[in-house]
Amino acid sequence: MKTVIEVRNLSKSYRNSVALDSVILSLEPDRIYGLLGRNGAGKTTLMSMLTAQGFPNSGEVKVFGEDPYENEQVLSRICFIRESQKYPDSFSAKHAFRSAALFFKNWDQELAGRLVEDFQLPVKRTIKKLSRGQLSAVGVIIGLASRAELTFFDEPYLGLDAVARQLFYDRLVEDYGRYPRTIVLSSHLIDEVANLLEHVIVIDKGRIIMDDDAESIRGSAFTVVGSADKVGTFLQGREIIHTDNFASLASVTAVGTLSRAEKTEAAELGLELAPVSLQQLVVRKTISAAGADLGASKTSSLEVTR
Amino acid sequence: MTGHQVRALGSAVLIDDSRPIFLQIAERIEGDIIEGTLQEEAQVPSTNAFASFYRINPATAAKGVNRLVDDGILYKQRGIGMFVATGARAALVQRRREQFFDQYVQPLAREARKLGIEPLELAEMIRQSETATVHGGAS
Amino acid sequence: MNRVVNVLRMQLVNRWIFIGIPLIIIAASFGLSWVIWALVPFDEVKASGGSQAVLWYFFALGIQSLTLTFPFSQGLSITRKTFFGGTVALFSLIALAISLLFFLLGLLEKATGGWGVNGQFFALEWLVDGPWYQPLAFYLATMMALFFIGFWAATIYKRWQTTGLVVAGLGVAVGLVGAALWINFQGQWPQIGEFLVSQNQMSIAGLLAVVALVLAGGSYLTLRRAIP
Repeated sequence: MKTVIEVRNLSKSYRNSVALDSVILSLEPDRIYGLLGRNGAGKTTLMSMLTAQGFPNSGEVKVFGEDPYENEQVLSRICFIRESQKYPDSFSAKHAFRSAALFFKNWDQELAGRLVEDFQLPVKRTIKKLSRGQLSAVGVIIGLASRAELTFFDEPYLGLDAVARQLFYDRLVEDYGRYPRTIVLSSHLIDEVANLLEHVIVIDKGRIIMDDDAESIRGSAFTVVGSADKVGTFLQGREIIHTDNFASLASVTAVGTLSRAEKTEAAELGLELAPVSLQQLVVRKTISAAGADLGASKTSSLEVTR
Repeated sequence: MTGHQVRALGSAVLIDDSRPIFLQIAERIEGDIIEGTLQEEAQVPSTNAFASFYRINPATAAKGVNRLVDDGILYKQRGIGMFVATGARAALVQRRREQFFDQYVQPLAREARKLGIEPLELAEMIRQSETATVHGGAS
Repeated sequence: MNRVVNVLRMQLVNRWIFIGIPLIIIAASFGLSWVIWALVPFDEVKASGGSQAVLWYFFALGIQSLTLTFPFSQGLSITRKTFFGGTVALFSLIALAISLLFFLLGLLEKATGGWGVNGQFFALEWLVDGPWYQPLAFYLATMMALFFIGFWAATIYKRWQTTGLVVAGLGVAVGLVGAALWINFQGQWPQIGEFLVSQNQMSIAGLLAVVALVLAGGSYLTLRRAIP
């Protein structure tokens, strides 16, 4: 299958910080990607480079097989409303939608209208007078109604209340089901979006630390709780991504799955097994990557030595 | 309509982010077939409907449904949709029976051993719980 | 090409900014001048510089177009080139329309004996003293130059922030001082003076047009690597 995005060794640094560090990525068409990471991890920078809104120091970006920079053919199929998107001062949401309709060839005005009602957006008020949530709603509506082949949502839920966020996720799943396209959902609220994702990319300090199908990540790690000694013996030789100690107890998260025999063994040793959610796993991988940084080690994990 | 409430309930109760979701979808459909909510030869909702209902990725929902198609539990009719195969219920019950020992009996026996409950005592407890459930169900 | 036209239409989505406000500025500055003329008990020609108010508005629009409309255009996946083309086309059209309006009102002004009070607002003597197209060319060139000064300054700010503006400002200052020193050194002030004296309305309009073109080129090259 042809890829939508190909990124090779993309690097970007600002005066005194590295925003992207040799990023390699490949995105396939008609999938929902989650671009996850902490605030400042490099999510927006990466999306800016992919849409030629920003410029890398080195590396190569290909979107729909071509360099997106000043490339009308490519850009006209992309929609990227950033979290801090600026609008002309005098514009109301209505003006913004009318403008968007001029440039996105798949623009669905009816959908935009329905979303306006969903989010109860005052379309005649100037955008600069809107609340943070309403501002996010403007971006969400443009992103969804554009039906662009490649759509980026940059922390789309900021300021939206729980009801509005659910509405966004519902509408996204619904519309994506009817009009499949490539969607990149950038978020630091992982639990909320986890179930919507088909593929997960985790970025931390400008580096990609996870790039895998969501379904293979789910259940790809487990936590064992019990007396530290027994946990250590049980997990001998496994890749450990997180350890918590409490008195003589340990709660250790390890990569992989357990066979039926191993589960029985754990039960017989009096160890408790707990599943690890996508969010927990991402958080632990991120922390463990930071730990590896401190230890000046290249690996993102530590072996249990007991 | 209470569609939103149902949906919130559905995703909150049924989808667990620490296990592959397609398995959970497949299990959920299997459960509906075993319980008779989904009759044999009845039409199964579309993958998009599953995706919207459980608020999950449509491709994931499709993977769950396709797994049941591969197992012969569901069958596709081009252009119309997906249906429950005849004999699906019996096949599922058979499979669940096979898993019953590993999934339920063994952990139960293990816990019983830990607490010093003799196998006979355990059997008696099961018999008692049976009558309790029947009574509970009747009242 | 279609997208260039759409950039133009996009900025006109809110007609108020490019059509309503300029007309109000023109009407207000003219109205104010007229009231003053009517109050002044003086039969000679009374000229007003009020017509330049709308020209300065263009300077502000040039800045805003880059600081806000450009980032928005990026969100709509418009290339920098297309944005530039559409924006310049829009400003040229509006500048042309206002120049034409001034020209026509200038004719009316003369026909009505200075709006009945011997006032001069659109047909300033200095401007209309020459070929008929002279005021047209002058207004157009001035507006475009002002627009591009604002636009380029904002582009420089976008690309290099305050440092960029300071460096650019210093560069212009150093350039001017350097030129002055060089002229001094070469003892060419008399020639410069002659050159300035020899200028007429049309040649000034021409110079402004050249300046506008240079600014346009500079703006475009700066915009090519600007980030929203």
